[in-house]
Amino acid sequence: MTLEIEYNDFELMAVAGARELKDGEIVGVGLGLPVVASFLAKRTHAPNLTILLELGVVAPEPLEVGVDGLSDPRIWYRATVHTSFTDMLGSVLHKGLVDVGFLGGLEVDQYGNLNTTFLGDPKGKFRRFTGSGGGNDMASCARRTVITIRHEPRKLSEAVSFITSPGYLGGGDQRARHGLPGGPAKVITDKAVFGFDPESKRMRLESIHPNTTLEYVLSNMGFKPIIPEHLPVTEPPTAEQVRLIREEIDPQRSYMG
Amino acid sequence: MSKVTTLAAAVASVPAGAHVALSGFATSRCAMAFAQEVIRQGIKRLTVSQCIAGIDADILVGAGAVERLISGGGSRGRSGQHACICRAIEQGTLRTEEYSSLSIAFRYLAGSLGLPFIPIRSLNGSDILKRLQEVEPPMVSSMKDPFTGEEWLLLKPLVPDVSVVQVQVADEDGNAWIMGPRWDNEEQAKASKRVIVITERLVTSETIRREPDRTVIPAFRVSHVVHLPFSAHPSSVYQVYDFDKTHIKEYAEASRTPDGFKQYLDKYVLGVKDHWEYLEKIGGMKHLSSLMADPVLGY
Repeated sequence: MTLEIEYNDFELMAVAGARELKDGEIVGVGLGLPVVASFLAKRTHAPNLTILLELGVVAPEPLEVGVDGLSDPRIWYRATVHTSFTDMLGSVLHKGLVDVGFLGGLEVDQYGNLNTTFLGDPKGKFRRFTGSGGGNDMASCARRTVITIRHEPRKLSEAVSFITSPGYLGGGDQRARHGLPGGPAKVITDKAVFGFDPESKRMRLESIHPNTTLEYVLSNMGFKPIIPEHLPVTEPPTAEQVRLIREEIDPQRSYMG
Repeated sequence: MSKVTTLAAAVASVPAGAHVALSGFATSRCAMAFAQEVIRQGIKRLTVSQCIAGIDADILVGAGAVERLISGGGSRGRSGQHACICRAIEQGTLRTEEYSSLSIAFRYLAGSLGLPFIPIRSLNGSDILKRLQEVEPPMVSSMKDPFTGEEWLLLKPLVPDVSVVQVQVADEDGNAWIMGPRWDNEEQAKASKRVIVITERLVTSETIRREPDRTVIPAFRVSHVVHLPFSAHPSSVYQVYDFDKTHIKEYAEASRTPDGFKQYLDKYVLGVKDHWEYLEKIGGMKHLSSLMADPVLGY
């Protein structure tokens, strides 16, 4: 009999996120789950991954990732370079050397446009959030972006309240016509993995996680994604991936619930 | 020439309505003692700029000292949003010019190089750009690259009246070392008309000259040097002290409502004479020594 590996939704998301990073790539990492996913990738299949933090940190190897934010010195530990925004987001990202911008968000739409600025009506009642930070820069200049977001109807909206970080804008060739390279490659939720249709640039289901059903996935989002004929189940985490997350990367379970 | 002076004198050199660039990022190397003294002196109508808003900007906005905030956004990270800034935006009491981290960094860079404008790939297609195009006069423009014909978005340089930089080490002239990541601080200081250096340690010129590779801000840009330990508290100063989680929690809790924030100001800012009294109020040496950084970890 095979032993069932227990894991929670966040671990599943982190593992799915890690899978999107290839060995040897340069990844610009946003706060939160992307941090855990990137360190997981580096400790498993992508030992030559270069992790960048926008404020000027290259290749950190923190003892703990359960930190307060990118400004928490815990996450800078054992970096190879301490530098600046102009260097990280300028001479690396703007120059075109960042393979993956790895971002979290408040709200994403069917074309992968990301909102981290506010929710509600800007002329009436609204709630203000973080704004761009380096998110817009990553979404504008990276070769591709990977977005992680909770699977909730208000987070997967037909249209976002505010485009902080551009995805494919209105779809088709709109992004390219704005002179922007790359674009979102994947959107990873705690229930499914989405890609984008190469022509229309609409979000397309690629796999659903073992913890859910297609019906649940569709009824908990604000738009209907493209559904392929053959819909695989997302590969679950391995025992080793779960162990790494729990014992080495995030032992305080600060991201993983 | 020694430029060492008191915090009160350095702050008094900043007139109402000035554009002040702050060195903080979220909860690290924030110009807290400076911000508190600005509030005590009642300096108003400031324009504040920084790539990522820190708690230095948040406390100034909460105290009503800021008319305009130019930033790429920002929060305290996992300990929450900058409640004073968010509230002021939601209530329409703060003018904001919002960009992204890199677009602010590029604006400082253009300012530091004396360039008239700088092209950038970021912001294109976003609602951030739409908003910047809507203001009068517009904050952005575009042009065809005269060599390739490619269309580029252009940003104006940022030239703050004064940049206030929290550093680990400086000498009396103002030669300053910044340890750890520098985010926007070098371009910010070099774009500004002058720099106020607030340092944890004051060292001799001999110490600076022994390791000039570490000097980020040269003395000739600096107008004032203030030697003030724990002047970024409750934010962290890499290799000197960690951020004060307990105090940040108290600040976060208090700043959730205007009343709570007012009580915080009354207790920790307006209710103390100066930074030394503030340090006593937050727990004095006994508490501060618990924040001292490990020399290897840096926190």
